[in-house]
Amino acid sequence: MSKILAIAWKDLRSTMRDVPALAIMLLIPLALAALLGFAFGGGDSFEIAATEVVVTSADEWPPGSLPMHDPPPLAGETFVEVLTSPELEDVLDVTEVAGAAAARRRVDDGDVAIAVIVPPDFTAALYGTGGERTAVELYADPTREFGIAITEAVVTQALLDFNGARAAAAVAAATAGEGSGHDAVAQVAAARFAEGGGVGGGLVLADREPLYTEGQEDDKVGAVGLILAGMMVFFMLFGASNVARTILTEEEDGTLPRMLTTPTSASTILAGKYASVFLTVTVQVVILLAAGRLLFGIDWGRPHAVLALTLVGAAVASGLALLVIALVKTPAQAGAIGAGVYLVLALLGGNFTGTATGTGVYATIQSFTPNGWLLRGWDVAMHGGDFGDVAAKLLVPIAFAAVFFAVAVLRLRRRYA
Amino acid sequence: MSIVEVQGLSKQYDPPKGVLAVDDVSFAIEPGEIFSLLGPNGAGKSTTISMLSCLLRPTDGDASVDGHSVVGEPQAVKSVIGVVPQDIAVYPDMTARENLLFWGRMYGLAGAELKKRVDEVLELISLVDRQKDRIDKFSGGMKRRVNIGVALLHKPRVLYLDEPTVGIDPQSRRAILDGILDLREQGMTVLYTTHYMAEAQELSDRVAIIDHGKLIAMGTHEELVRLVGEEARVDITVDKQLEAMAERWSALGGVSRATVEEDHAELLVDDANEVLPHLFEEAAAGGSRITSVNVSEPNLELVFLHLTGRALRE
Repeated sequence: MSKILAIAWKDLRSTMRDVPALAIMLLIPLALAALLGFAFGGGDSFEIAATEVVVTSADEWPPGSLPMHDPPPLAGETFVEVLTSPELEDVLDVTEVAGAAAARRRVDDGDVAIAVIVPPDFTAALYGTGGERTAVELYADPTREFGIAITEAVVTQALLDFNGARAAAAVAAATAGEGSGHDAVAQVAAARFAEGGGVGGGLVLADREPLYTEGQEDDKVGAVGLILAGMMVFFMLFGASNVARTILTEEEDGTLPRMLTTPTSASTILAGKYASVFLTVTVQVVILLAAGRLLFGIDWGRPHAVLALTLVGAAVASGLALLVIALVKTPAQAGAIGAGVYLVLALLGGNFTGTATGTGVYATIQSFTPNGWLLRGWDVAMHGGDFGDVAAKLLVPIAFAAVFFAVAVLRLRRRYA
Repeated sequence: MSIVEVQGLSKQYDPPKGVLAVDDVSFAIEPGEIFSLLGPNGAGKSTTISMLSCLLRPTDGDASVDGHSVVGEPQAVKSVIGVVPQDIAVYPDMTARENLLFWGRMYGLAGAELKKRVDEVLELISLVDRQKDRIDKFSGGMKRRVNIGVALLHKPRVLYLDEPTVGIDPQSRRAILDGILDLREQGMTVLYTTHYMAEAQELSDRVAIIDHGKLIAMGTHEELVRLVGEEARVDITVDKQLEAMAERWSALGGVSRATVEEDHAELLVDDANEVLPHLFEEAAAGGSRITSVNVSEPNLELVFLHLTGRALRE
């Protein structure tokens, strides 16, 4: 056992000193992740761009109310003016559209992050004295988390102000003609404002999301995390390949034959090599998971599920890398053939697009790739699945890993016997 | 009792039609002996070492090391041998100390014993001051020393050295040869392969000459030299007609062989002092002028030439 660990530690240390290998294993996936994260709104921490928002108001005078000679503007119009005010243009890029349906469609089409929909009874709720309530709807693309948060904060603050005005109006109505001093008005206003519950008062916020079918939901929900998971699985294959290739480079350099002249069996050496590949890939995944969490705020899921996915992913990558090594004769062949195999697998498995659940023929093809199943596992984990949910997705990858490893060991043992 | 016994060892790559790299080789090495396999490149020396290291399985025959069969008990054999391969086989991205620690573990050493042996070997190969430097920062000679040091970590009973001085400077070569002589003083048995006649002559208690996979002679230096009948070698250059002159000289009494080698003739003679005047006379008679003469006393180079008709370096 100590010899196996010695070989594994030696290879891990060599890998950590190999700058090009580290670049492939860590920097490239992180760089791609940063680009993708930025594109999908998860990397906005670099520079906050104005969130694209559409707003529409269906607000109207309450039925039966008498139009005044010089009526005040509808509250909904005022609310829209607030959102479109120049003070907010650095954070919100607001466009006014006609109708709630049109506003939602802009979100569905991906044109904007969020739609703010003012209801018809907005003014009624504001001026009413009977405790009327209504809700401003936010219809948002959940993948654009940062923009949603900004919009929500702005709208909430605006509603807070409107509720304050509503309380003040109620106070004014209640105290009219009583000859009260300013202190009394302030006390009543505070009481009414408290009764209104601030944001929870007559005008409230209703968060909505588009309704997707099951398949579409996987495309939308957690898309950034899934793409990062896909990239991570893909680069695990390359990370494993780099270390496994040391079997061939050591054979060329003479250190492997020399190891075989020591009282260390070929099986022990191969076990050490497998351990080194597994260990290196596991370290790679841990670093990428941590980087994904810290840089992009990705919630990878529950610890047990993440651990299972990490270990099974490392087993698959290690087994496949050893299999490639067992099928070729030189490091150059391993590099070329390995890269081809990994690219094809990544394309078929949906690693580049973060497609955890394909449709039709693609779904069938995806089911024949271990990386496709791993991606499904990550999808489940990131949607809150526990160990049991994830384990169901890992049976196929485990079977793949076992077959890869068995075939590789048989061939390598024959070669070095 | 011999510590290494080789009996009818053969190795054919890709049988039955492949190259027969080693052909029915037999020899024995006594404990504490330095035994050299001398032969040109491709003679079968490294293949023989590989079979004795249990890296290659013999096509035929067997060998025992310290009583263990290389065919039947490879692990036992590996625990009593140390192998210094021809090419440097250590990890360039690791320090000298890291390398020794790793290889020590491969030989089954651990804990305090491992550290103690690493310290001792670093002392032995004179790299204590550079132990924390990476191997890829070392000179060729220093790398060779680490390469040898690795094989000494577990105090092997038999040390195999496969051409350990190839491609290094004279000073480092001298240091390595002195180190091997020191090991013999400590009682270690050494199997040494080389194509340098001078090294085999200086180091070895006995030499086996190998060519085309066959062992063609074996014995002490004196015994081997006796095979050529105390003949001396005379190298002669002339201003013209070299081949014609070689033919004329070969017919002279006291000259057993005269061959042309590039720009000079090589003659094997019984008594150089007696033959030399006749060589000059024959040259003058043939219309040529001798421009240089070099006389070599009998040595292993001559033995090889005598046995194969070729120079060792060919």
